[in-house]
Amino acid sequence: MNRLTCILRLPAGGIFVVAGVLKVLDPARFAADIDHFRLLPYFAVAPLALYLPWLEIVCGLAVFVNAWRRSALVLLLALTVVFIAAITSAWTRGLDIRCGCFGAASTAPLAYDLVFDVVLGGVLFWLWRVEGRPGPPSPHNV
Amino acid sequence: MACDQTNPSCAAIGRTAVWLLALALVPAVLTGWLHPKRPEWSWTRPAVTELPLADAERLTLPVIWLDARPDEEYAAKHVPGALSLNEDRWDELVPKFMAVWRPGTRVVVYCNSQECDASRAVAARLRHEYRINYVFVLQGGWKAWLEAHKP
Repeated sequence: MNRLTCILRLPAGGIFVVAGVLKVLDPARFAADIDHFRLLPYFAVAPLALYLPWLEIVCGLAVFVNAWRRSALVLLLALTVVFIAAITSAWTRGLDIRCGCFGAASTAPLAYDLVFDVVLGGVLFWLWRVEGRPGPPSPHNV
Repeated sequence: MACDQTNPSCAAIGRTAVWLLALALVPAVLTGWLHPKRPEWSWTRPAVTELPLADAERLTLPVIWLDARPDEEYAAKHVPGALSLNEDRWDELVPKFMAVWRPGTRVVVYCNSQECDASRAVAARLRHEYRINYVFVLQGGWKAWLEAHKP
């Protein structure tokens, strides 16, 4: 169980770091991707395009820091739920758009991103449950 | 783990989460200030996105150039590889464009100069009627292209 948790941290945090870095490379493009979802007022698009990738990077890295892990998992889980809602909304409206989840590397149809995010959300939720459980008393427990 | 307000570890998680949210703000502000590809900000969405010629020619994704000028002007000379799509023969020309268009392809529409509206109209129709997202209007139009490609 413990080993699995350790192994799962790597993709759970790493995916967000990679996704964040890919988006930070071209924030203007990410802003266009967000705008194409037609979910937000235009004035909010550019600030979100600047902030969201860094939030992913910060929280993705924080998954590997013991004291910050649970907070990071909560935030990443919340983000993933928002992503799932946005993609579902775009999909049901029949929008012909890319997810933009991985910046320039996003070329897959929205349905793939949806499945990906649902699996990711499941992993994050599981990690959050396991990490949140109080362990046996030990001198390392803070 | 029960998470209510009386649980101190729950409050600690919340506090750290706020710190993480704030921490991400710092590089985000720097990115908006210094990044060469920072997004343009405005209150309202520009009707059609204009693309400067240099940016249009730098697009690495598949691009379709569309000439929105009248037939005779297109016949005389046009951007190499550009397809003709004007409102005069819309129904005839649009299938030819749709035959080569693929999702994700960038579309750059141009008409004569910065002042003409044909490219904006074509871009707006492609966006609204065909739900094509990545449509851009070439800033300065055909004149800008000619200027940049003087022999």
